[in-house]
Amino acid sequence: MSNLMNSMLANLKRERLLVITNIVVMSISFLVLGIFTSVIFLSQSMLKYLENQAQLMVFFKDEFVEEKILKYKTELEKDERVLSISYVSKEDAFNIFTEANKDEPILLESLSSDILPASLEIRTKDVRDLAPMAESISKAEGVEEVKFFEDVIDRFRSISLVVHIVGFVLVGLLLLVSYSIVLATLRMTISAKGKELEIQRLVGASDAFIKRPLLVQGIFFGIASALVSSIVLITVSFILSSSGLYSNLNVPFIPGAKTSLGVFSLFDSLLILISGGVLGYFGSLSAVKRYLKI
Amino acid sequence: MAQIEFKNVTKEYEDFIALKEVTIFIEKGEFVFIVGPSGAGKSTLIKMLIRDEQPTSGEVVFEDKNVLDIPREDLCNLRRRIGVVFQDFKLLDSKTVFENVAVATEVVDCPKEEIDAVVPNVLNMVGLLDKRDKYPVQLSGGEKQRLSIARALAHEPDVLIADEPTGMIDPVASDEVMIVLERINEMGTTVVMATHDEVVVNKMKKRVIRMKNGSIVSDKKKGKYDEQSDE
Repeated sequence: MSNLMNSMLANLKRERLLVITNIVVMSISFLVLGIFTSVIFLSQSMLKYLENQAQLMVFFKDEFVEEKILKYKTELEKDERVLSISYVSKEDAFNIFTEANKDEPILLESLSSDILPASLEIRTKDVRDLAPMAESISKAEGVEEVKFFEDVIDRFRSISLVVHIVGFVLVGLLLLVSYSIVLATLRMTISAKGKELEIQRLVGASDAFIKRPLLVQGIFFGIASALVSSIVLITVSFILSSSGLYSNLNVPFIPGAKTSLGVFSLFDSLLILISGGVLGYFGSLSAVKRYLKI
Repeated sequence: MAQIEFKNVTKEYEDFIALKEVTIFIEKGEFVFIVGPSGAGKSTLIKMLIRDEQPTSGEVVFEDKNVLDIPREDLCNLRRRIGVVFQDFKLLDSKTVFENVAVATEVVDCPKEEIDAVVPNVLNMVGLLDKRDKYPVQLSGGEKQRLSIARALAHEPDVLIADEPTGMIDPVASDEVMIVLERINEMGTTVVMATHDEVVVNKMKKRVIRMKNGSIVSDKKKGKYDEQSDE
């Protein structure tokens, strides 16, 4: 094991400039990978937030009395698509309006609770059920108007999809670049050590003995670069989180879970480190197979 | 049963035939010269013994085992039993004399204590113990070749093959190298040496297999370089 480490350290020392350049370029690749993972996480979190906020607001005609509205509410609650329904009476609506406009007394003076309609606020389990429900509810007896912000969610979902696609393509390309760097570096090492490897082979070194230090070197490149980018990513993420921004985000796919960008960056870094190790291993394995013919 | 057998070995390249139906049997403990001009097929033949080259047809047998049947992952075991000495020494300039020999022991993951015991022993055998901390560039041609022999001996091989070991050194150094090879042979190691050094061959009076254009033209015990007849 110490021979293995000594051999790798000697290689790294001999090609110091090349090692630094490669680690810098690979670190940038991994950093971009980390940034895009974070952006994808943020956009998913935002989408989740918007979806949670999305609701139908069903306004009723003045002649449709509270008793009828509550009966209709009980009927709607039997619908499997419904997550929750809350009733906002004329008084509740007036109180909300008053609270929202407390700085405008002149406006409030001219209003009474009668002027605002009673409503039901309906949340569905799946945001995609909002439109069909709105359609059917609008035809129900006593319903004046049904409102929901379908466009906003759809637009954000489209933007989010574009970010995902661009992010994945970019991350894929950068991983390919990193893979090529590992391959090229190992090729140079193999070429520089050509005589030594040939002698080792002729004096009875097994294929595994020759391959081992090269694989370790590849994994070192991957992990060292991933480590550098992880440190940068974690530092920036915690600074952003500590400012209060991005500190209470919804976790996509885990209902009710909340986290901060800083904590997410720890998970992200683990992902980057694993990617670095795997990429380094397969890059060097491929280089060994291609250039060493073993 | 011979220790080494080449049976009807032929090696064809795209544009020429390096070996034609070569058959040789070498007993354990023999000292054999394979002689002939450049291009006669000497190097190709001895490279086949460590499967650095493969025949187009025929068999290469080492201690009852067809070398071609040895799985790739076991090839290292064969190469540990057959030491190789090259004309161009194949030494690592960045390593000391000691480290150059140690390479052979490191590849089998020898513990440090064993390396520290084996390496001085073989360096002593070839008369280079006092130069253990020198680098190859500080050695004469003859010393480099003896270092190459020391490395080949590190595994205590059953066979030592030497490809033109005196080809790049002066006559005095050649004598030193041959003395070392003879001593190794006397200790029971089979030595197979490819050469076109007439002086060395004639002085040693060992078995001489003469090759020309890929074929054996003579095989004589206690032979000389230019003898044509078979025995």
